[in-house]
Amino acid sequence: MSAILLLGHPNVGKSVLFHRLTGTYVTVSNYPGTTVEVARAAASFDRARQLLDTPGILTLPARSDDERATVRALLGEEAAVLLQVGDAKNLRRTLTLAALLAELGVPMVLALNMSDEATERGVSLNAAQLAKDLDVPVVETVATAGKGIGALTHALAHARVPAALLRYDAHAEASVCALAERIAAVAPHPRLAARGLAILFLGRDPEVEAWLAERAGSAFRELVHLRGPENAAALARERAQAAEMLARSVTTQAPRRSPLLSQRIGQLVVHRLWGLPVLAAVLYAVYEFVGVFGAGTLVALFEEGLFQGLINPAVTQAVESTITVQWLADLLVGPYGLWTMGMTYALALILPIVGTFFVAFGILEDSGYFARLSVLANRLLATMGLNGRAVLPMVLGLGCVTMATLTTRILYSRRERLISTFLMALAIPCSAQLGVVLGMLGSVSLAATLIWLTSMLSVLVVAGFLAARLVPGRRIALVTELPPLRLPVLGNVLKKTGARLRWYLMEVIPIFLLGTFLMFLLDKAGILPWLIGAGEPLVAGWLGLPKEASAAFVMGFLRRDFGATGLFALGSRLSPLQTVVGMVTITLFVPCIASIMMIAREQGTRVAALMLALIVPTAFLVGGALNAVLRLAWS
Amino acid sequence: MVLIPLAFVPPGREVRVAQFAAGLDPLQREQLAAYGLAESRAVTVLQQSPMTVIQSEHVEIALEHAVARQIWVERS
Repeated sequence: MSAILLLGHPNVGKSVLFHRLTGTYVTVSNYPGTTVEVARAAASFDRARQLLDTPGILTLPARSDDERATVRALLGEEAAVLLQVGDAKNLRRTLTLAALLAELGVPMVLALNMSDEATERGVSLNAAQLAKDLDVPVVETVATAGKGIGALTHALAHARVPAALLRYDAHAEASVCALAERIAAVAPHPRLAARGLAILFLGRDPEVEAWLAERAGSAFRELVHLRGPENAAALARERAQAAEMLARSVTTQAPRRSPLLSQRIGQLVVHRLWGLPVLAAVLYAVYEFVGVFGAGTLVALFEEGLFQGLINPAVTQAVESTITVQWLADLLVGPYGLWTMGMTYALALILPIVGTFFVAFGILEDSGYFARLSVLANRLLATMGLNGRAVLPMVLGLGCVTMATLTTRILYSRRERLISTFLMALAIPCSAQLGVVLGMLGSVSLAATLIWLTSMLSVLVVAGFLAARLVPGRRIALVTELPPLRLPVLGNVLKKTGARLRWYLMEVIPIFLLGTFLMFLLDKAGILPWLIGAGEPLVAGWLGLPKEASAAFVMGFLRRDFGATGLFALGSRLSPLQTVVGMVTITLFVPCIASIMMIAREQGTRVAALMLALIVPTAFLVGGALNAVLRLAWS
Repeated sequence: MVLIPLAFVPPGREVRVAQFAAGLDPLQREQLAAYGLAESRAVTVLQQSPMTVIQSEHVEIALEHAVARQIWVERS
């Protein structure tokens, strides 16, 4: 099977191009560094060919976990063609990577993406000349608009092994040749040229090292000895120099004009004075769209209008007239019925909220705003031992904590991954939960929402502050690229929203039904009233909630939003104060089963168990304290 | 030629990277190189607060003061 491997720097549009070439959307996401695992799909132009999308590589030799996944794909996948995706307005950088990829001896095609942005900035490049110099097909594309895809498909059939971009200086060249010769003898790779492996090995790439150690066996020591103390940075510098020469010879830059509007806005949103008002405006717009329109208008339409008004009475009548066994009818349409509770929750309450959230999220994501947010958030995250880079998983956590836990792989140290995973599990509500929480608080008052927000941020900062001091290791300062702001393409946002919703419903409906079934069992077996009674001192006494709210916490063990929905169902029986306390507690309360499993997978079972042991008491402690404080303030 | 740290350059000014200080973390040096920041490259400082933001060719790069203080630049 001849696979095509997509490779390139972060945020050059690999995943969008992947979508254009396969028709498949990688649901993870599309801002820098959010593809953290290799995705694969059949090419739409030839179903027999497979396309592989890889995480972006900032530096090769690899340094972070996601970059290592890309090198693993290079080593392990049966890739017949490498499709390097590069940023057309930044040819020097693209060619620096090409200088290394060219040494692997695999047929290649170069796609220079975002060529519209290059044109806007007065960069014109001679693609035909570049194709001759590299001896591979070079195609200019605009993946988001679907431009150049036909030409790219055509070029993929004519991929060629590239010409080398440089010869290293005599000393380095001697090491490369000597190593390549030994590698070819003791650990030949079925597809990759020994010279390419030698260069990566000299650069101390951990995956290539591991691969050689396994293949070469006892001869590996010899390879290590041959490598000596070679300076990895020197090789990278020489590649950069060669790339710069070539880039200059094929591009021309028009005389500088005044900055583009998108550049002006881009600077405004990270401005020390204007950045925060812009952020507040963005948050307010999201609140209006998701909290008021999604959780208010749409939920009323779906739940009261469609489900309670039309569908549920019809379903109940149909079930009761056909099924005479009482408990079976109850299982379907009773108070804890699979349809009346499980499906109604999932489709009438959660779907409109999550749907509007994903639309808002997709718009912000495609605009490039999230990367700029890392500049504003850097100082705050520094108090938690993290840097602005952690904003990416944290914001994705507002979408889905499970996915975000996986995305912490883009962070550079184990310490950062541990701290950010913990903070997300504790205090970052996922979109489903956020939707329900905002919807409920929105119906109380803006003040209620602000109290909830302040509580969450305080817990986040205090827990982060403590974690930064308790977890050993040091903080890494932020250095990051800020991709240009772009106007999102509505079609792409909707497609992405559709893909996310499909994934979400596939995950959520089985768990909702399972949860409902458990509730039904607990109720029929008479355990639920007992649990409600047992939880009463904690829930009613300490948190000051109605004792029925215990049931919501039981449900919260399955999914956080399920728990919040349980409180939502109590609705008007909660006072404003009880609503705020309930929402704060349930937001902090255990992450959903799926995310606990993901934490265990990424961090180990022991760490996951420890996190749970910290999170549950913290949730009740904070909720109770808030209850006490608010009661004092209210009276 | 007098060298000053990148962190001290007022916004709007164009400067040339002269050298990286020895105290710069190797991982960060590699990152900077990967973003295209190398000796003798011209950069324009866009802002210094809350972080240093520079433009080099068509790339905007944000870096913390702790890092920007380790990069020596000269007037271009």
